[in-house]
Amino acid sequence: MPDIEPFSPRGMFHEGWTAEVSDYAIACGWALKGKQFIVGDVAGGIFAFEGDTGKIIWKKENTHSGGLLAMAIHPEGEIFATSGQDGNVQICNCHEGKVIKTLDLGKGWVEHLKWSNDGLFLAIATSKKVYVFNEIGEEKWISEDHPSTVSAITWANKNELATACYGRVTFFDIVNNKTNQKLEWQGSLVSMELSPDGDIVACGSQDNSVHFWRRSTGMDAEMTGYPGKPSHLSFDDSGKLLATSGSERITVWSFIGNGPEGTMPGELCHHTEPISSLAFSNKGMLVASGSRDGSVVASFLKNDGNGDPVGAAFAGDLVGAISWRPDDCALAAVNAKGVVNVWKFKVRTNLFSKGFK
Amino acid sequence: MSIKDKVPVTILTGFLGSGKTTLLNRILSEEHGKRIAVIENEYGEVGIDQGLVINADEEVFEMSNGCICCTVRGDLIRVLGNLMKRRDKFDYVLVETTGLADPGPVAQTFFMDEEISSEFTLDGIVTLVDAAHIDQQLGRSDESSEQVAFADVLVLNKTDLVSDDALDTLESRLRDMNRMTRIIRAENAKVPIETVLNLSAFDLDQILKRRPTFLEPEYPFEWTGVYDLDPGKYELMLEEGPDPEMSLVALVNQGESEEELKDGAESSVRLYAENANTLEPGNTVPYGEHVNLKLENKGNKSFILNIEKPSKIGLFTQHTAEEFNMKVIKSDENKEIPFNTERFWQAEHEHDDEVGSIAIERFGDVDPEKLNTWMGRLLSEKGVDIFRTKGFISYSGNPRRIVFQGVHMLFTAQPDKEWGNEPRRNQLVFIGRNLNEKEMQEGFDKCLI
Repeated sequence: MPDIEPFSPRGMFHEGWTAEVSDYAIACGWALKGKQFIVGDVAGGIFAFEGDTGKIIWKKENTHSGGLLAMAIHPEGEIFATSGQDGNVQICNCHEGKVIKTLDLGKGWVEHLKWSNDGLFLAIATSKKVYVFNEIGEEKWISEDHPSTVSAITWANKNELATACYGRVTFFDIVNNKTNQKLEWQGSLVSMELSPDGDIVACGSQDNSVHFWRRSTGMDAEMTGYPGKPSHLSFDDSGKLLATSGSERITVWSFIGNGPEGTMPGELCHHTEPISSLAFSNKGMLVASGSRDGSVVASFLKNDGNGDPVGAAFAGDLVGAISWRPDDCALAAVNAKGVVNVWKFKVRTNLFSKGFK
Repeated sequence: MSIKDKVPVTILTGFLGSGKTTLLNRILSEEHGKRIAVIENEYGEVGIDQGLVINADEEVFEMSNGCICCTVRGDLIRVLGNLMKRRDKFDYVLVETTGLADPGPVAQTFFMDEEISSEFTLDGIVTLVDAAHIDQQLGRSDESSEQVAFADVLVLNKTDLVSDDALDTLESRLRDMNRMTRIIRAENAKVPIETVLNLSAFDLDQILKRRPTFLEPEYPFEWTGVYDLDPGKYELMLEEGPDPEMSLVALVNQGESEEELKDGAESSVRLYAENANTLEPGNTVPYGEHVNLKLENKGNKSFILNIEKPSKIGLFTQHTAEEFNMKVIKSDENKEIPFNTERFWQAEHEHDDEVGSIAIERFGDVDPEKLNTWMGRLLSEKGVDIFRTKGFISYSGNPRRIVFQGVHMLFTAQPDKEWGNEPRRNQLVFIGRNLNEKEMQEGFDKCLI
């Protein structure tokens, strides 16, 4: 249990709704353009709530025997995919939660799912392999075995997929089945994010550093000195700022000008325990962070990566995942006890000082 | 999170065919009330009967800094990271490694990765060895000696295939390599479960209780005879033997039960550690002292034993009585008094294994800063060759003793129970390859106040 005292939403956070799922909530996301909020728990329960009220729309349990590992909502928000320890991926419809297609990928855990930005492809990582399927579950591409278990995947652009594993990041053209680029570096890469234009690749490494490459110039750099492994990375939508965290502190690198090499990063210290989730808003330089201590803070950042908190709320327990509503007017946090919190996010005025009606 | 809330993890190592899967199945069937997760790496072997079994490729991740002490098992981080989220958490985790695995990265994972160390605690490393084959394996591969060196518990398995003598020799070889370990003999991996699970292996009190002389697990003497003697003068008579001299400790009131013999042996070990007084033939043997009998002269040599009241005398001799045809003779009657009981001991001997243990035991307090500097330097220079460190230290000014434990260059020092009336002392054991005992002891001595 967190050591901090519960507190009411502050600043730009206002009471919204709360709900509960059956187990430790590990994944969440907004569907149907913010009208629906879907939560997945570690035991394989999937729950859909009304985005405005938190009323349950549908739920299903034990979707993956052994447990859920990942969930990804399609960018159009009509369908979503889940995967688990059973080696399966399910593509489901958001309205009723019905399974449209089940993909059986064998015995390994299926740990990562990513829809391409245009929603045409679903990338899936299981053990050392990566698969790409289309929206209706037809197989489009399979990678060769990677040298180790794939630890992160992300789309670089329309047809190009990036994968991270021990020692390297690889870019695949999945339509023409070729390898576009390999970035090698001896280290266990535990997280990966790409800038929105796909040029900057940032990876958190087990040895408490962040390594990044600029694909256009081939330049790379290593940012060391993290107290823990930087499992959480997030780029803002302009690609100017990269928020990183492997401890209770958030370190923000600014890519403006010649940075971040040789510059001082911004530091945000709002939590008492390590960050467990980190996400920039869909638009603008607002970063939200959730911590193991149960606190959630939104900070408004400047170009140099420094910034000030603009709101805080208490999620009750370790924050398993956070998600900004597509319009950035609400932030959701799900916790290790299975509690779902959705807070309105807006400028507090005297008239609405009690927040949400 | 206190250590009690953390999920204990036992690492099972051992070469292929040493009986790991048999032991795993035994644990799972006997501990059926518990939720045990098994992380297993060897596919296609004998199946695991029940319990949650997760297959994971052993992924050993070295860091870009090239430091082997930072090497961790990536697969464990991923798998355990997921397991710890379940509401119906596991009571216990067993990690089985392949026969060729270096236990270092597995153990280091529980120190190095903050997310893992905050939820799990390494309870112990259990190494199974096949009594019939380990001798050759030790000669051939670094992995097998490392697995022995890392072990908190060594299960000497398949003892039915090997003679008792060979087992004794093997056990003393293993003991030489790792003096902290507890050795359990077993047939078909049949060991009491409590000897391999929930060890809190780093609890030194337990180790000390199990082996009061774990720092001197082999004896500097080979033989003990207990003699029932009435008051009077006796001669201890010896003929020529393999050596021109022999060490001896004579104890009064030596009991004959195994426990009493072991108590006597322990006292004798301590006495043997002191310098011996040389006795010429004709001299009187003192009690409770380490003496060295001069045996250069030809023919019978006699030393005097004086008995004031009826007593059982225990003679702890460097060599066996037989080797010198040693006899106790009552002087006035010229009558040989046979021993009541004899006991042979596993004598110290040299092995050429590179892997061994070094123990440092000193009374007094240490200066925490000096110790930190010394340990820091030692581990950064020799961390690669030091597999395990365990022990406790008395910091000056601190009412609690400080418990040390480490894997390669990673170590933790935590305050433990209060000293109370116990004499303040320090005990450290290092297990590693090619360690320089003298240098390390001197280094430690400089930290003493």
